[in-house]
Amino acid sequence: MISGTFHTSYQADMALRRTWLERLRLGLFIVFILAFPFLVGKKPYPIFLMNQIGIATIGAIGLNILVGYTGQISLGQGAFMAVGAYTAGILTARFGVPWWLTIPIAALFTAAVGALFGIPSLRLKGLYLAIATLAAQEIIIWVVTHWEAVTGGVDALVVPPPMVGSMRMNTDFRFYWIIWALAGLTALLTANLFRTRYGRAFIAIRDQDIAAEVMGVNVFAYKLLAFAVSSFFVGATGALIAHYRGIVTWERFTIDVSVLYLAMIIIGGLGSISGSLFGAAFMTLLPAFLTNLGRSLRGVFPAMDEFIPYLQQASFGLVIILFLILEPEGLKKIWDDIKNYFALWPFSY
Amino acid sequence: MSRFSKILLALLLILALGALAACGGGGGGEEAAPIKVGAIFDLTGPTSDVGAPYAEGIKGYVAWLNENGGINGRQIELISADYAYKVDQAEQLYSQFVGEGVVAFQGWGTGDTEALRSRIAADQIPFMSASYSANLVDPAEAPYNFVIGTTYSDQAIIAIKWAMDDWAAAGNEGKPKVALVHHDSPFGQSPVEDAKAFAEANGVEFISMAMPKGATDYVAELTRIQEFGANYIIIHTVSSPAAVFVKDARAQGVDAKIINLNWCSDEFFIELAGDAAEGVYGVQPFTPPSVPVDGHKTPMEWAKANGKEVDVHFIQGWYTMDVMTAGIRKVIEEGKEVTGPNIKAALETLTNYETGGVTYPITFTPESHRGNLGSRIYQVSGGEWTQVTDYITAP
Repeated sequence: MISGTFHTSYQADMALRRTWLERLRLGLFIVFILAFPFLVGKKPYPIFLMNQIGIATIGAIGLNILVGYTGQISLGQGAFMAVGAYTAGILTARFGVPWWLTIPIAALFTAAVGALFGIPSLRLKGLYLAIATLAAQEIIIWVVTHWEAVTGGVDALVVPPPMVGSMRMNTDFRFYWIIWALAGLTALLTANLFRTRYGRAFIAIRDQDIAAEVMGVNVFAYKLLAFAVSSFFVGATGALIAHYRGIVTWERFTIDVSVLYLAMIIIGGLGSISGSLFGAAFMTLLPAFLTNLGRSLRGVFPAMDEFIPYLQQASFGLVIILFLILEPEGLKKIWDDIKNYFALWPFSY
Repeated sequence: MSRFSKILLALLLILALGALAACGGGGGGEEAAPIKVGAIFDLTGPTSDVGAPYAEGIKGYVAWLNENGGINGRQIELISADYAYKVDQAEQLYSQFVGEGVVAFQGWGTGDTEALRSRIAADQIPFMSASYSANLVDPAEAPYNFVIGTTYSDQAIIAIKWAMDDWAAAGNEGKPKVALVHHDSPFGQSPVEDAKAFAEANGVEFISMAMPKGATDYVAELTRIQEFGANYIIIHTVSSPAAVFVKDARAQGVDAKIINLNWCSDEFFIELAGDAAEGVYGVQPFTPPSVPVDGHKTPMEWAKANGKEVDVHFIQGWYTMDVMTAGIRKVIEEGKEVTGPNIKAALETLTNYETGGVTYPITFTPESHRGNLGSRIYQVSGGEWTQVTDYITAP
């Protein structure tokens, strides 16, 4: 129960966590992340799932910057991840650039590509911009599969495993720390971005871009910046995937991935970092949950065995629809409701 | 939140806990006799029309094997799931099954086979799938992949070889002109380079072109082929676009002979193309049920007893699992522990393994995982595939 929170400095008032309870929750979360691999006994499968969640979180935060905070719909997520993955893969495999250096380089290059494909946002809004970014998705995948000299065309690009000394870094356990350190850094950078004038400009553009223009926000420049910053994080996601999986194929960066990430941030909560995390966790765990549910049901209802894969696919869509109907503001809103309920507990009347 | 949604949420949470507990409990147990093999299938995704019978073939084989004493008394436990051709899902399922102790893995498509290539080498899990890409046969690059169907490159070379023989047998001078149309994807482009090299080495004029995705007709491609003057057209794609292509070819009066590679040489192609399919040739490494051989007896009996339909993809799945089991059987007979590396070593000693005439005898060596070197040529006659030639091998 929080009452009587008084700040005596601007610093304290603008802090990311202003009350002791918020700091405690964040501390518990960090402790959980640090302890998780040991809690599951270093078993590869749960750590693999957490790694997938971590990578998806970085991508979802990137997309949220563009869609949630700046209000520009983007269907190009898969393609930008492909740009990051192929850049990191080619730099490592062909030019022998150290793997930890390829991540920022790939991110910067993807930011440039993102800004390029953000140029249509000067004249297009909403659905029309979504189609323009869909064009980005298709064009980039076409370039990747046909530009044989650079990307090896349709063949998979094998990336040598990242090494530190003689230790192979892309085992599930070791890469876990890299992914979650970068996820934490992404969350921190994004939270701070929205305390600066750039972040406030993005939010102004989302809320009412004509008013923002009148107020003096250079809408086009900030839109391009939003595309660039968002693509920076998305490119970093792609680079991480390249190094983690050791192999880059275009088939993992199709339009389905773009739609999946949009679903992640919509279910998680637009315009929030914890929303991106919730959405990433939900969309990663849902197929795993449905598969295991199907497997345990198989023994109970053998006659239903044939229908279980179809039920799984149907459930996937159904859960998303139910979510949008019952809680359109996403998992973040549910979490906020829980927090608010306990904020005044037991005196919440 | 309304009361209804609160109840729904609570229900979902209870289900979640229940399911997680179920799957958590299932993995435990002592060193049990069953041999665990993991498998992923496409039952609901874009390739599910051929993925579903293939999955039935694999599951059928395991059921049949377990009913008939397993391998020296040991049962095979097939841990499988549908992944709908989503690469992320494939990786998740792979990681989960490896965590549950599978010693070998059955994949499905090019997407997941490529994505898992380095993982299975690191985890030392022998892997077979229905992706017959030539870059999977070199143990130096893909040490744990075993290719049981004739590779797409070899199939194209076999088709060109047969075209040359057929051209000469018809009393024509010189060499025929060959065109290759293929799916616009890694799967489709796989044989192009090797086919081109073979054609040029044998003085055969050759062009190739990709079939655009989502096209509703192939008039433009056929016009180009007619201008080139092709005498033989090789189609490398799945049945749906192949059927459209063949219908357009017949309508345009293209008189070249058409040779389908394995993914369009099946019953679906005949169904979809209808009358236009008559006279089309096919390279199919797995003998279709319309050409009965010894190897068809057991799967057809089992399928009849269990109410399953048999088509060429069912046979394909059945015998893919059969070859993997042959490797496992060798390991058990040699008294060794059933682990990934031991199965790999055993598979690499498989020489001229007979599949009852369904496939060319399978041979793996430590230097080559190209198990299947030949295929027969079939032709659609009277609405089903009939045999035209005996095995033709690729060099």
